[in-house]
Amino acid sequence: MSEFCLEISAANKSFPGVKALDKASFRLRKGSIHALLGENGAGKSTLIKIITGVHRQDSGTLFINGKEETLNNPNDATKFGISVVHQERNLIRRFSVGENLMLNNLPKTVLGLIDYDEIAIQSKKWLEIMDLDIDPNTVVSELTVAKMQLCEIAKALSLKAKILLLDEPTSSLSPKEAENLFSLLRKIVRDEGVSIVFVSHKLEEVFNICDDVTVLRDGQNACTSENIKNLDRKKLVRLMIGRDEQIVKSTRKTDKIKDTVLALNKVKTELGHENINLELARSEIMGLYGLVGAGRTELVKCLIGLEKIIEGDVIINGKKTAIDSPKSALEKFKIGYISEDRKKEGLILIHNVLDNTSITVWSQIKKAAGLVTDGMIANKVDPYIRKLEVKTPSNYQIISNLSGGNQQKISVAKWLAAGTDILIIDEPTVGIDIKTKAYLHELILNLADNGTSIILISSDMPEMISLADRIVVMKDFKVNGIVENDRDYDVVSSKIMEFIHS
Amino acid sequence: MNKKLPNFIFTNQFGLLFLVLIFIVIFSTVTDGFTSRFNIFALSRVIAIDIMIGLAMMVVILTGGLNLALGAIGVCAAMFGGWCMEVLGIPIVPALLLTLGMGSLLGLVNGIITVKTGVHSFIVTLATMSIYFGFMTMLTEAEAFRRLPDLFTDFGSAKLFNKYVSPLLLVSVATCFILFYLFRFTDIGRKLIAAGANPEAAEVSGISVSRMFIYCHALSGFLGALAAILLTTRIGAAIPSMAGQLGMDWLLPAFLAPVIGGTLLSGGKLSVFGTMLGAVLVTLLTNGLYLLDVGEFWIRFFLGIILLLAVLLDRAREYLTLKNVIVS
Amino acid sequence: MNMTVAAIFKKDWLGLLIVVLVSGLVIAAVKPAFLSPFNLYVLMVSTSYMLIIALAQMIIIAIGQMNLSVGAIGGLVAISFSGLMEVHQISVPVAVLSGLVIGIACGFLNGYITVKSGISAFIITLATLYIFKGINLGITEAEPFYNIPENVKNFGNAKIGNTPIPFLLIIPIIITILMWVFINRTETGRHMLAYGNSVQSAELMGISSSKVVITAHIISGFLAAIAGMLVVCRLQLGTPNIGDSWLLPSFAAPVIGGAILAGGKVDVIATALGVLIVAIISQALVIFKIDPFFVQIFLGVMILLAVFVNRYREYKQEVRRKIFSSE
Repeated sequence: MSEFCLEISAANKSFPGVKALDKASFRLRKGSIHALLGENGAGKSTLIKIITGVHRQDSGTLFINGKEETLNNPNDATKFGISVVHQERNLIRRFSVGENLMLNNLPKTVLGLIDYDEIAIQSKKWLEIMDLDIDPNTVVSELTVAKMQLCEIAKALSLKAKILLLDEPTSSLSPKEAENLFSLLRKIVRDEGVSIVFVSHKLEEVFNICDDVTVLRDGQNACTSENIKNLDRKKLVRLMIGRDEQIVKSTRKTDKIKDTVLALNKVKTELGHENINLELARSEIMGLYGLVGAGRTELVKCLIGLEKIIEGDVIINGKKTAIDSPKSALEKFKIGYISEDRKKEGLILIHNVLDNTSITVWSQIKKAAGLVTDGMIANKVDPYIRKLEVKTPSNYQIISNLSGGNQQKISVAKWLAAGTDILIIDEPTVGIDIKTKAYLHELILNLADNGTSIILISSDMPEMISLADRIVVMKDFKVNGIVENDRDYDVVSSKIMEFIHS
Repeated sequence: MNKKLPNFIFTNQFGLLFLVLIFIVIFSTVTDGFTSRFNIFALSRVIAIDIMIGLAMMVVILTGGLNLALGAIGVCAAMFGGWCMEVLGIPIVPALLLTLGMGSLLGLVNGIITVKTGVHSFIVTLATMSIYFGFMTMLTEAEAFRRLPDLFTDFGSAKLFNKYVSPLLLVSVATCFILFYLFRFTDIGRKLIAAGANPEAAEVSGISVSRMFIYCHALSGFLGALAAILLTTRIGAAIPSMAGQLGMDWLLPAFLAPVIGGTLLSGGKLSVFGTMLGAVLVTLLTNGLYLLDVGEFWIRFFLGIILLLAVLLDRAREYLTLKNVIVS
Repeated sequence: MNMTVAAIFKKDWLGLLIVVLVSGLVIAAVKPAFLSPFNLYVLMVSTSYMLIIALAQMIIIAIGQMNLSVGAIGGLVAISFSGLMEVHQISVPVAVLSGLVIGIACGFLNGYITVKSGISAFIITLATLYIFKGINLGITEAEPFYNIPENVKNFGNAKIGNTPIPFLLIIPIIITILMWVFINRTETGRHMLAYGNSVQSAELMGISSSKVVITAHIISGFLAAIAGMLVVCRLQLGTPNIGDSWLLPSFAAPVIGGAILAGGKVDVIATALGVLIVAIISQALVIFKIDPFFVQIFLGVMILLAVFVNRYREYKQEVRRKIFSSE
């Protein structure tokens, strides 16, 4: 019997235009918690999809408990005891907890009807393992996110899962809830014989709870099943990015930063922000740092008018204003927003490069009777497409055919073309290759140097410290603190972490 | 909108044209009377109205929605216009403007309800279809207006080009060109398309998506009223039942033309001339089958099959438009 | 399911029941004729087949889809049922069976194409609406079938003993009870609701999408068939336009009954009460001699209101949850 309950050996997987996995390997020891790390685009999600049966590898073998197996679909994976735990996504929120837990195996009475009493009894067992003291008849939608997640794990256990895959499990949890989750994970590994694949970008958690580590980089193994005791943060990061965390030497002259262009004064929003006080100066790059759920994207969405500000003032160039839509943000105040989710909010995938890049400028360039020709558009936006070195066979290429990096460039290009005074950039380099990432960083610095004020949202600490002049630390929809950035990584990052944990 | 050649939409329109020509050849040889002056003239009138109906639905499909109330709006507008002309004695041109205004207004209401409540346009227009039609029937007591000005009704029976073509067709084709210009060469047309393709992205990029969707619904009502005007001049009277109960007779041609023509049901991509060719194709087929003695009662069955095939094709088209999506 | 008093108060249908009782009493107070045996009889007759039609749509709404062809299926079965008996002298039981088979076949077609093509059921059933209606017209050539066997006609007219309760109502009541059991107490029913709530979650739990969708459509077609045949009994003819006016009411009742069109939330009892409300108001309009076309307007307005209210309630619940359940 193999000591590994799950093993993937030399897996290759390609998609049109990109090789996602290149002889990647992975070995999960029985009864261990194994971290799977890698920057976005490193092949992590592809590997996860192979483990869970969503994709099949082009070549390479998959072993479960030492035996070679083929997974054709997610149901096969479930049959072999592999379960993915998302957050609340896989529970039926209108059903009760008990019904959710037993949904594919509902106990029935003699007449063939569902026996709800039996559901309550049987589901209690799984709830107790997860220390959940809730009535099985509780409707899922009434639970907290943390409890929903624990129910999901309970469900996986009830399906006799022996391999649990947790994908960014703490992204919506408070630190207390996360600690609770971790102690439960340790418990089920110990008592229920479960092995866990733990995917997270939070390195502190990895060191907290994991036994082994596999790091993927550019589709290949940077390390395979390495014992965590042999690594420290610096080594781990180097494995992930292939180099030391690089802090771009700042060429920014701080005396460029003057007049306040944007100020938020005791702002309270519909989404739960309270007492937000911020100031943004011309040519300044202000970073908003925080864990997922801190409320950063939500705050900027309120700023551009997608959600409501219910109290407090927004002051732009000295005047109190109210912004009711991105349209007025752009047209009246020249504020732009490069959104976090470019596929959903940033780009129109079925349209071409030209149409996507020019969407912000049609009103600007139109002539009499609203005339806007392709030629007029090309004149306006071509310079930006070329400046950003977007790789595309033609301006009429459909955006969905471009690589992630080039798509991101287009979503930036359209705001450059619009000519903004204030540009909000939300997680600019997620899922982007390293070269494009460096390029975008340089671009952001240049923009600021040339007069644009930038609000930068990033969960990437090195990126933040490279770029931002000041870093606003947010937590639970409030501002916890502001750190002046002197580019000394250790000092600044620990100040930030202090604010996060206060 | 794409210019480049190896583009499916372009191929699609070319393919449609090809199909149209093939069917013309087939029906001309196989049937009697297909190419007769009488038949072609009649066809030109039906095609004119079907094109307009298809365009009216197309602009709502662009938003990813549907306008079930199209027929109801058309008939309501036409009855209003008939009332203006016959009862109030308003001259033709102002009366027609009022008709178009009424259509736009009813469409505007649909748009506002859809946008403000967030309810899908299917349900909204399902409801307004009955509300509009109900009010119209109540107010007119289901009586038709049959004594419309001669000049108006003469337009419907006028014959051009050696008696082959009705001027109605010219109106529709001209409308096609205007809409083509709108969507291809104006900022507002591009915004309408962007809003329909990805409302979230369009909103963030500075487009007022609510306003765009409301415009689409109002335009749909406008075009529906125009279609009803054409129908009224053809019949020579404004009759409450001219589009069937609740206006539902229009729904089949209204969907068929744009869908066959390459307008994606999911929104964000349309083809004006595709819709035009789609309407031509469907009308030709219907006419040809009728002349072949297929029996008028089976024609609806065939059209249903064609709609089914057309939507299957639409799906394939949507998939191909997004092909080679890079997995991240 | 909780049957405590407190739980009953939370149920959707309590509010509707109150509306039914109150409106019934108010109308009766103004026009006592409303409660006359004859009027109650007419009310129950129209409720009988509308109930089945509403349930036929409700089951599809439950899985998050729409069935535009309910009326067309009902109409096709109606003329097939009457046609078989008139033209081919088929006995009543066999004709009924054939009607049911046709309904099941139509439903299966809808479900199968929807599943295999991946296209929304709305569009598929829009097409099959014309296909079924086309077959209907093709067979009847717009002429009704007049010669319905006597016992069928009697069934359509009969009442239970001396009460105003029509025999016609028995089948719908049985079906309503069966549907309640199906949705709330059977595995397939719960799987359907799970699917309607979240396709992704349901599939990951091992629920077969195709099984759920096809079964739902088969049930819908089956119910539409029953409704069609009941109408034939009632009208004593098989006319080709049976089913033409079903679309609107088939949505109105479930929606008034609190159904969410996105799927996953339907209530059999509330839907039945919705049918009752529509029937009561329609009757009232006749009694008060209001223009019958007003029913159209009324239905449209009710649908808009109901959908709007349902969405608002869902939104409020979501907001409440967000505020109260984060630590």
